[in-house]
Parts: sequence; structure tokens; C-alpha cells
Amino acid sequence: MASVEGGSLVLFSTEVAQPEVDVTALVETYSRLLFRVVHSVLRSQAEAEDVVQDVFVRVIERHRSLQSIRDMRVWLVRIAWNLALDRRRRIWPMQMDESFAESLVANTAPADERLVEAQRIKAVLREMERLPKSERHVLLLSAIEDLGTAEMAKVVGRSESAVRALLFRARTRLRERLEARGGER
Amino acid sequence: MINSEETIGKVFAGLRDAEASPGLERRILAAIEERTSQRPAASPRWVWSVALACMIAACLFLAITTLRRHGQTTTQAQHSTVPTDTLSADGPEKDTQVASLLPHEPIAPARTIAPARETPAVSAADALLLREMRAPSHPAPEAPLTKEEQLLLRAVHTGDPQVMAMLDPEERARQEAASEAEFQKFIEQSGGDNE
Repeated sequence: MASVEGGSLVLFSTEVAQPEVDVTALVETYSRLLFRVVHSVLRSQAEAEDVVQDVFVRVIERHRSLQSIRDMRVWLVRIAWNLALDRRRRIWPMQMDESFAESLVANTAPADERLVEAQRIKAVLREMERLPKSERHVLLLSAIEDLGTAEMAKVVGRSESAVRALLFRARTRLRERLEARGGER
Repeated sequence: MINSEETIGKVFAGLRDAEASPGLERRILAAIEERTSQRPAASPRWVWSVALACMIAACLFLAITTLRRHGQTTTQAQHSTVPTDTLSADGPEKDTQVASLLPHEPIAPARTIAPARETPAVSAADALLLREMRAPSHPAPEAPLTKEEQLLLRAVHTGDPQVMAMLDPEERARQEAASEAEFQKFIEQSGGDNE
């Protein structure tokens, strides 16, 4: 049962008339973080917002068990992460990478430089996608710089040392592959 | 080397600095409110128990009603098999005569047909026909042969004395011996004529 009191959405239990969770506070606190997490996977603003909305809808569907969750932040990130990976399997990500790459290129640069820069960015995104799955996941989570190693470890279900090792290998492999591509040219 | 590092850094910065469009929180809250308004409120367990009990009671009531209706339909069907209009077309006197000619026990009163129901009294003709209808069936009695059957039987069984005699072994042996003797006699006569 939901009610809006003073601009905040509060979920109540029907059996006990105690407020269980302040959804508005959850949305205001975590929606931007979740957006960045989802966006790192999907690289599409519209898709990421849709997934974040889906995360909170799922949260209110399980609002009875919210009080038993110890780390709300990691729990929400895990939900968002899994939903984003699921959404990415169902959409065609290359077009989104292209538009994301073009959005990163400075508009002030000349057209030819912008084209070259966009191609470089797309090459980086392509090589990131070619990384082993566990390495890619850790690299994307570290890229948003919001999560510590311990939180990333909980999200991907690995130990902290494994996350550090995966992150090191991912960066090294990505750099080597990009250099190899540059050498081929 | 520098280019790739720069590009990687640019991609990571783009992922880090990604911003949702303004009003994301408001849209999320609106979607949640819409979803919760569509979702039916959770009911306590006793509500489900009462609902289940009501459903069982309704099923029982329907079953009993259906059974009763089925019983009434059967009784009505039994009554409707007797067309009362055609039966009593000759009048009640004729029906009474027919009833008196039949070698059955007296006509049972109408209430014995459906004693449990409050049905209207059945007429005597109806009762008779109902009893005839319900009486156990017997094989048809042996009827005499028709004229054609008798002629056919006579044509097949002619009763010729010679044919009938041949059925007796002694008579047949005697007939054969006589025939043999007659044949021998003919042979001997014909031999003497040739010589």
C-alpha cells in the first residue's frame, strides 16, 4: 500500500500500520548511482533510465523484505546490474555505442578530427566488449568510480583480491589490444 | 600509446560523468505510484479462508440444485412419453374397456407412479399405458403357419411312398435284391435269345 505524505512516497504494510520504507528517500539517494551503473553497461540514456525505473518498481514489489537487507546500496546496485546485463542481451548495443561515442567527441573540434576521435572511442568500446566477461564487468564497475573494491566484489560475487586481479588484467589487456590495433594501422 | 590511454580515459570519464535527464526521480516516483495503485491491496489470511469457504458452499449448493433439477427432469420426461391427447381420443369408456380386457392386475392408482412428488393425478388410461410400458418384455407367442408357408412345406415334403420307403434300411435292401434279381433275369433272357 502506498501513500504520498508531504511529497514522499511511503510504503505501508497492511497488517502492521508502520511505515516500512521511504521509497522517495531511496529514489533520491540512489537513482543517480544506479543510472550510472546501468549506463556503463547499456551506454544509452533512455534505456538506462528505463532500467532504473524498473529497479525501483521491483523494490516496492519486495518491500516486505526490505528491512532485512543489510546493505541497501549494494543490494540496489546488484539488482540494477543484473537488470542491465539482461537488457543488454536483448538489445542491439552497437548502435548505442556509436551514439555514445559521438556524444563524447568535442563539438568544437573540426569535423575530420571529430570523426577520428569517434572512431577511436568506438574502438575502445569494441575492445572492452571483447574482454572476458568477468574482466569486463569489473572494468565497467570501476569506471563509474562510485563503488569501492568491496562493493564491486559483492556485486560480481567475487573476492576483493579477485576483483583487484581482474581489474589489473582487464586494463592491461585492453591497453595491449588497442596498441596492437594501432600498430596494425 | 598516449592516444589509446587518452581514449580509454575519455571513455571512462564519459561513463563516470553520465547524467540522467532532469526529472528522473519524479518519473520514477510517478511510475511507482501508478504501479502500486494498479496492484490490489494484500488481504489478510482470514479473508482468503472465508472466500474459500464461500466458494465451497457455493459449489455444494450448485451441485444439490443440479441434482434436484435432474430428478425433476427425469420424472417429467417419464410423464411426457405418454401423449394424453392421443390416448384419450376415443374417450374414457374405450380406455376402460381396454383395461378390462387385459389379463393384468387392476390398475394401480396414479400416486404409485410418482409417490414422492406432488404431481397431478394420472388418468386410468395413462396408468395402464405406463404399466404396459414398464412391464417386462416376453418373446412373441408361436403363431400358426400362413397359407403360403403351408404350401411351401407341402411342396418340399411330398410324402412319396417310394422315397419314404428308401429311408428304411430293410425295405431298401429288399428293393435292391428285387432289382438285382430282375436284372439277372433280364440278362439270362437276353443271353438265351442271342444263342
